[in-house]
Amino acid sequence: MSKGILGRMSNREKRFNIGVTVALGLLSLFFLLPIYLTAVFATRTLNEVFQFPPPLWFGDNIVQNYANIANVFPPFRPILNSLAVALPKTVGLVLVSSLAGYGLSRYTRAPGHKTLLVVTFATLFFPPSLALIPFFLQMNAIGWLNTFWPLIVPAVASGFGVVWMYTYVGSTVPRELYEAAEMDGAGGIAAFFFVVVPIIRPGLAALAVWTLISTWNDFQLPLVVLGDGTKFTVPLALTTLSTTHYSDMPAVMLATLMGLVPVFVLFALLSRQFIAGLTSGSVK
Amino acid sequence: MVETVSRTPASQWRRNSAFYISVLPFFTIFLAFSVFPVVFSFYLGFSRWDGFGSPVFIGFQNYVRALHDPVFQKAVANTIYLWFWSTLLTISLALVLSVAINEYVAAGKTYFRMVFLVPLLVAPAIAAVVLRLFFSANGGLVNLLTGAMTGTPSYFDWLGSEVWIKPLVVLLVIWRWTGWYIIIFLAGLQSISRDIYEAARMDGVGRWAILSRITLPLLMPSIAFAVITATLGGLQMFDEPFVLTQGLGGTNNSATTVGMYLYATAFTQLNFGLGSAVSWYIFAAVVVLTLVYRSLMRRTKAGEGA
Repeated sequence: MSKGILGRMSNREKRFNIGVTVALGLLSLFFLLPIYLTAVFATRTLNEVFQFPPPLWFGDNIVQNYANIANVFPPFRPILNSLAVALPKTVGLVLVSSLAGYGLSRYTRAPGHKTLLVVTFATLFFPPSLALIPFFLQMNAIGWLNTFWPLIVPAVASGFGVVWMYTYVGSTVPRELYEAAEMDGAGGIAAFFFVVVPIIRPGLAALAVWTLISTWNDFQLPLVVLGDGTKFTVPLALTTLSTTHYSDMPAVMLATLMGLVPVFVLFALLSRQFIAGLTSGSVK
Repeated sequence: MVETVSRTPASQWRRNSAFYISVLPFFTIFLAFSVFPVVFSFYLGFSRWDGFGSPVFIGFQNYVRALHDPVFQKAVANTIYLWFWSTLLTISLALVLSVAINEYVAAGKTYFRMVFLVPLLVAPAIAAVVLRLFFSANGGLVNLLTGAMTGTPSYFDWLGSEVWIKPLVVLLVIWRWTGWYIIIFLAGLQSISRDIYEAARMDGVGRWAILSRITLPLLMPSIAFAVITATLGGLQMFDEPFVLTQGLGGTNNSATTVGMYLYATAFTQLNFGLGSAVSWYIFAAVVVLTLVYRSLMRRTKAGEGA
């Protein structure tokens, strides 16, 4: 297709397009460079990373760097902590959001429907910082500080997730299907699990990927509710390591790299869902 | 509307209860952990409380006190600076890149669609850690580079510099968030029908005219969405400046944002009342700016119609 377009173009237009491509290619290297250098420095010695020109290819000091992190904390602990938060939160959020999105999409004539729908959309403009302090005090009052609960249970109620599932169910599930299900004796909740869920599975996957990645990257809320270093999730553990051991750059870089690997693997496997997830917010 | 299924009171009741059951988990948790805290925060804003004993009602004192605090004033100025420049630069760059990817790229379209998204996988806090290492005074990559170019070793303290710390935060935001807006704009661009372009080309309309008369106006809803998202995030900016300055706000609070001020008053000084008042200032700013955008959008639309 692009070949056809190029074929119809004047030479001037072709030159312009090639120039744009080259410029974009160089710019894209700028976007990748920090991550690439992190990976390279993670395999180098302290002396090597302070040289000029800096090493641009991988070295062989990764085992020593790993040992240096292991002196500070078990290197896989933050990753396991992040998983312990992200996995249950994702399962809960996807379930709660899709159920509510389904209800809001199907039962438009139930009393109170309009109000609840408006409230759900309004939550999108709700700045999270408004609830930060009282949320902390609330967690303190019910004894949840320094546990993973504040990052999981309240977080499964996401206005973003509900709005997304509401639009997704509305655009993918034909209304006649509800009536057919009802005649087969499948009422509201049964119809959700046996009729709706199989249809909206791609949407559920997209929401799950999006939730996993954004939870992995959360910083402020874990910072507020987790006091104990052994509970730290990846971003918290890394920022702490980078302040206490900032002189050992290769070790910090290796720890950074380890924290990135899970999301990069997830992205490599499910990038299509991830992008669908980001786009969905902007449509309509 | 044609109804094939019976509308007896019993089936109506069954349907309504299915609705309430389906939304119950969401609204219960939302009520308990979002609405309740926010109501409590409203009360706290008018109170003095350090978390011990019971809150004392003090009227508007917290709100007045914040306005008179030079650190808060500076935080407001910093936040406006960071919000304005990061929004402007990130969205402009994303706009240029997505139009280029959509229209002009000669090869490797799939690569360009994906590559700018990679930074989105990196937590803002982690990106800040990496940027710190590159810009550190002693042996940071940037100083090595400038040292090699000038011939004398450089030990410039970028992160301690009052001049440079804010541009560094903006740089971090650009690096990390441009991809997000590229996705939004690419989705918007793809929803514009190819026929319009074909017709314009046939009529001999030039590239710039196509861009300014067709593409940009049709992309306005996406741009508005992007600006509102960037504003919501920018006014509450926390992770990037916090990690970049190791939670201290930089020399003379040169990078302290309102979000960091809120965090410090509440969680280091345990002044929960003042912190809550600040969070209501943030909320007010979000509401005002959202309304301003909406009226601007409506005016441009009305202008087109006339």
